[in-house]
Amino acid sequence: MPVLILALKDLRLLLRDPRSAVILLLMPLVLVLVLGLALGEGFGQKPDDRLRISVVNLDRGLAKYPAFPSKPWSEVVMDDLSGTADIRLEVIPDRAEAERLIARNKRATVIVFEPDFSERMDRCSFLTHADPPPLNPLGRDGVRLGDVGVILLADPTQPVAASVIEQVAQVTMLRVVVPWMIGRAFDRVGDEAFMGMLAAQLEKVKPIPPAVLTELDPVVQKLLAALFADPDFGQMLRKEFGAFGAEAIKTQMPQFRKLIQQAFRNEALMARVGTNISFGEVMTPAVRKQVGPRVQDEIQETFSNYNFRAKTWAGLTKSEAREGAEKNRTTYAADAEGTGLLKRGAVRYQILVPSYTVMFAFFLVLTVGWLFVVERKHGTLTRLRAAPLSRGQILLGKLLPCLAVSLFQGFFLLLAGRLVFGMSWGSHPWLLIPVVACTSAAAVGLAMLVASVARTETQVAVYGTLLVLVLGGVSGSLMPRELMPEPMKQASLVTPHAWALDAYSQLLGNPHPELTVVTTACLVLLGFGAVFLALAWWRLDLE
Amino acid sequence: MQPPVLEVVGVRKRYGRTIALDGVSLAVGAGEMFGLLGPNGAGKTTLISILCALTDTDAGEVRLFGRPFRRSDREARRLIGIGTQDLSIYPDLSARENLRFFGKLYGLRGGELEKRVDELLSSVGLSDRAGDRAGTFSGGMKRRLNLAAAVVHRPKLLFLDEPTTGVDPQSRNHIFEQVKALNTAGVTVVYTSHYMEEVQKLCRRIAILEGGKVLACDTLPVLLKLLDATVRVAVAGAPPGFADQLAAIPGVKSIKPAADGFQLVVDDAAPVLAKVAMTCAATGTELTAVSTREPTLERVFLHLTGRELRD
Repeated sequence: MPVLILALKDLRLLLRDPRSAVILLLMPLVLVLVLGLALGEGFGQKPDDRLRISVVNLDRGLAKYPAFPSKPWSEVVMDDLSGTADIRLEVIPDRAEAERLIARNKRATVIVFEPDFSERMDRCSFLTHADPPPLNPLGRDGVRLGDVGVILLADPTQPVAASVIEQVAQVTMLRVVVPWMIGRAFDRVGDEAFMGMLAAQLEKVKPIPPAVLTELDPVVQKLLAALFADPDFGQMLRKEFGAFGAEAIKTQMPQFRKLIQQAFRNEALMARVGTNISFGEVMTPAVRKQVGPRVQDEIQETFSNYNFRAKTWAGLTKSEAREGAEKNRTTYAADAEGTGLLKRGAVRYQILVPSYTVMFAFFLVLTVGWLFVVERKHGTLTRLRAAPLSRGQILLGKLLPCLAVSLFQGFFLLLAGRLVFGMSWGSHPWLLIPVVACTSAAAVGLAMLVASVARTETQVAVYGTLLVLVLGGVSGSLMPRELMPEPMKQASLVTPHAWALDAYSQLLGNPHPELTVVTTACLVLLGFGAVFLALAWWRLDLE
Repeated sequence: MQPPVLEVVGVRKRYGRTIALDGVSLAVGAGEMFGLLGPNGAGKTTLISILCALTDTDAGEVRLFGRPFRRSDREARRLIGIGTQDLSIYPDLSARENLRFFGKLYGLRGGELEKRVDELLSSVGLSDRAGDRAGTFSGGMKRRLNLAAAVVHRPKLLFLDEPTTGVDPQSRNHIFEQVKALNTAGVTVVYTSHYMEEVQKLCRRIAILEGGKVLACDTLPVLLKLLDATVRVAVAGAPPGFADQLAAIPGVKSIKPAADGFQLVVDDAAPVLAKVAMTCAATGTELTAVSTREPTLERVFLHLTGRELRD
């Protein structure tokens, strides 16, 4: 109870202290406002020398997906684009936005996948006839983009950049379309329809050339020899001709085979024999079924450096598919630059608001330091020590209101960030609560530590401001952590600020935040708070 | 003296090489108004700090209400009130909020607290400024509020350390009245000051502290007895043997000639003076001037310490 009485008293004093309100609430908002207005669109993002390819995906996909492609063709193309070295893919949500960006010279070219892109791609084929009617998109300059439902919106004032992007689009489309068409064509080689068509063609070859029949003689000879050697056939002979007749036929068989051989080698005879037989008759359905796949295998074997069945560029060329395509794909935020005078909703506020929320959380050192100094200066600390209170109660009575103020500050700044600057709270807004709380714990710990060292208002101001600014600079509160060199980024983890910023970065900047990063950051912040408080407890002299 | 509520036995305190208290011993009886007199640096505040559990002793013992008193003894601290030398009120809280806060710290709640706060505001003359922040008060008003904050929890033993520092005469009188009223109500008061007249006016028993030691501790009349009175007479036409006649007056301890008459050291100036006048008349000596010098606490202090109180 005495702790609560002390805490409420200090809370009341803090609320009446305009300095605290200015430092903890107003200053960060003003700084965010000024920087928000002054900084450009790319603030906080590493300079990216990769080529940006912007796309609008209106593709409605296919009604049903076979084994390949298992997703809309536009996704296949975008995967290829974002998997290409030195290219980053930016997905613009709608065509109107793309046209606005082109009109404002913000993009040189935007690739638009029309709603029927997948359907058109699905029809791409080397075939002349098919159902649905095949589409041959290949032309002199590569893929005729319009034929497959791709439109390039180009800024006429940036012809060079537009041309580069168009070439990139061409290469990608070739990499997608050609293996697809080859694969589909190869599937047809040796299939039933193909073999049927082949047989139909051979049907026209009539009479069968004598040379073909002559070459068939060894086969006929083998067939006869095998037939007469078979006991079942011997039985069939005996049944038909009796034992004597069957033996007679078998005895005469060598002469008969010799006679057949002579007949097959008689070209004139064979020409007459084959008059009414077409070549296609040899291609019976059973033969076609046996031959077809072997034809396909043999072709594949002949061109073994390629996989004609693959239907993808990586598969066709037997090269490794590129990994990490997802990382190279970003979604264009329509309000990245913000709207209105304040540039509300601009992406930079996703960095500025948490940065200054964290940095100014630690300005609590001034408030808490002054609270102790004023208590000493007004002699009231002496009164508290004379009262029936323990040291722990006095310190806890100071700590609680400071924690309350810090929590209020954190939530206030995030709320102001949303209401004033239109920032997003990310996909897991409730996770901001533990981050604010753990940051406050660390800030209160540090504030108590500073209060234990500084004895005068000047000392509080000097130690506190210096500490806050140095830690803010080292941690990346003053400049985006993303822009820091990696060793510096690692070194900055000695500050609680850096951990808090990493947690905010996950929650406010990553559509799919890594919760382990957030959890770890919260635990480390609590650790910082505990260590700071332990040092303050040991160091703080109330006398 | 009533049974002591406060006993200090051989208390020593040192800050580095400076000896603040050097074996201080004294006792204060229940309901007593006790003065602690000494110049700046005499050790008064150190002693008060020890008695209020703000500082530890290096040696010696403090007994409060018959029991040894230690800093950790929070229950005993509830019985003590302290009016510090420096103000100890929150300037950003109103007079009422200050009193409420200190009252709550000592366990007062609800109606009892409100009644006590109203009572104190009235008694220190701040009822009409109860809602104003203490920071806007004059020095005297702050002192009065400081006194009220010291007694809000009805302490049995009140330490007042220079409670009138920097206040106007009106507020000083107000504070005096309050202290007297508290004492009348049964609160034992230990009053420290370097204003001799305050101590002389308020306290029945006084301890004179200097250099960390108690030089004397007793009632005021006994302390004054440490010094004699002086009667100085200027005469003209005194006959021979006049000095012997003066020396023979009862109550005259010694006599020595002065430039225009004699200086007599006496127990009590008034009766001796009458006798001197009668002797002059009887011998036809013209008494041209008379002056007396009674013992005062200031002279006692000078006598004991060898220096003025405000040195």
